[in-house]
Amino acid sequence: MNELDCKVCQTRLHGYLDQELDPATAAQVAAHLSICAECARLHEQAKVLKVSVKRHAPYYRAPASLTASVLAADTPAPGLIQRWQKWLAPAFSAAALALAMVLYIATPGSEQPLIDEAVSSHVRSLMGEHLNDVVSSDRHTVKPWFTGKLDFSPPVFDYSAQGFPLLGGRLDYLQHQTTAALSYAHAKHIINVFILPTSEADKAMQSQSVRGFNVVSWQSAHMRFVLVSDVEKTELEALGQLLRNGS
Amino acid sequence: MKRFEELIAPHLDAAYNLARWLTGNDSAARDVVQESALRAFRFLQRFADGNAKAWFLTIVRNESYTWLKASAGRHWVAIDDDMTTDDGPLSHSQTPELLAIHTENAALLQQALCALPPVFREVIVLKELEDLPYKDIALVVDIPIGTVMSRLARARALLKLELLKLHDHE
Repeated sequence: MNELDCKVCQTRLHGYLDQELDPATAAQVAAHLSICAECARLHEQAKVLKVSVKRHAPYYRAPASLTASVLAADTPAPGLIQRWQKWLAPAFSAAALALAMVLYIATPGSEQPLIDEAVSSHVRSLMGEHLNDVVSSDRHTVKPWFTGKLDFSPPVFDYSAQGFPLLGGRLDYLQHQTTAALSYAHAKHIINVFILPTSEADKAMQSQSVRGFNVVSWQSAHMRFVLVSDVEKTELEALGQLLRNGS
Repeated sequence: MKRFEELIAPHLDAAYNLARWLTGNDSAARDVVQESALRAFRFLQRFADGNAKAWFLTIVRNESYTWLKASAGRHWVAIDDDMTTDDGPLSHSQTPELLAIHTENAALLQQALCALPPVFREVIVLKELEDLPYKDIALVVDIPIGTVMSRLARARALLKLELLKLHDHE
């Protein structure tokens, strides 16, 4: 086997590293590397360098906008109709989506009238002396009071320990339905909790702001819950959580 | 056209990467790739079945050099492979050399690579980042296949020097 001189080897070790050498040459390089410390050192360094660049040098991917414009612009004039076809579908989808959005926003959902009524009722309850028909912080007083007046059984609990003492309850009338209205206090604020039956499926809790009042509502166990107050949204949601969890 | 998309779309990342490394800036790389795609589209008929990636990258490389030459030639250094290969300044001891080249610092690697003349930078990009075989590199950078290995050897030696320089500055 003919010996490789170092100068040649120091070039070939790159082909060796990149696995581009034919087997015979590769064997020569391997043999030389095993006996020549200097070339072995350079080979080692080249290997480390290759790995560093491969792993850590930035790779610049084509921006999505570039890809889009290249593929769109370089598909010139495949006939007017095809071009129309290409744009019609997205255009119609966009139009349909826009229409749906407008309808969604413009049409009061089944929720909205109820929420509006609930807010009005909340305001009314604070105006006169008609906050509660039954004034008690004892749920065993409030709950039985509803019996016979409602065709469903609203959950009644006192949350004094959590900062929401039960003030009492009254009957209200929302969405042409007799509704249980519980009132809770939180610091100086009054929270009205409206509970009315529904045949609709459960719905997750959602918060909104109506005429400056915070409203938290959800549906569970065929009852609709609407909480209205001027307390902070997060605090109202906290009471909502308590009511949801029961007890 | 279907064929154009099939041929070019898979290689847009590679094209942009090469153009970005050669031109050193985003907007130039965009322009280069746009222009290259246009050319590729125009010459689509001439492209017989073969290596679409190498073919497209060849166009991108040429466009990149056109841009480089036009932009004041600041980075433009023509270098042939017979450049002296003396390893004079490489008389560092083992440890700092390895420390310098065994880096995970992307910014440092980028700086070092950008300091290389384009003809060396491009072979590193094509080999390490695109993992092109020597025969494709030969096509793209338009040199005989026998020259690819020595070009890479030289490029790696230069890159090592740059990293050492940067390392010493730290």
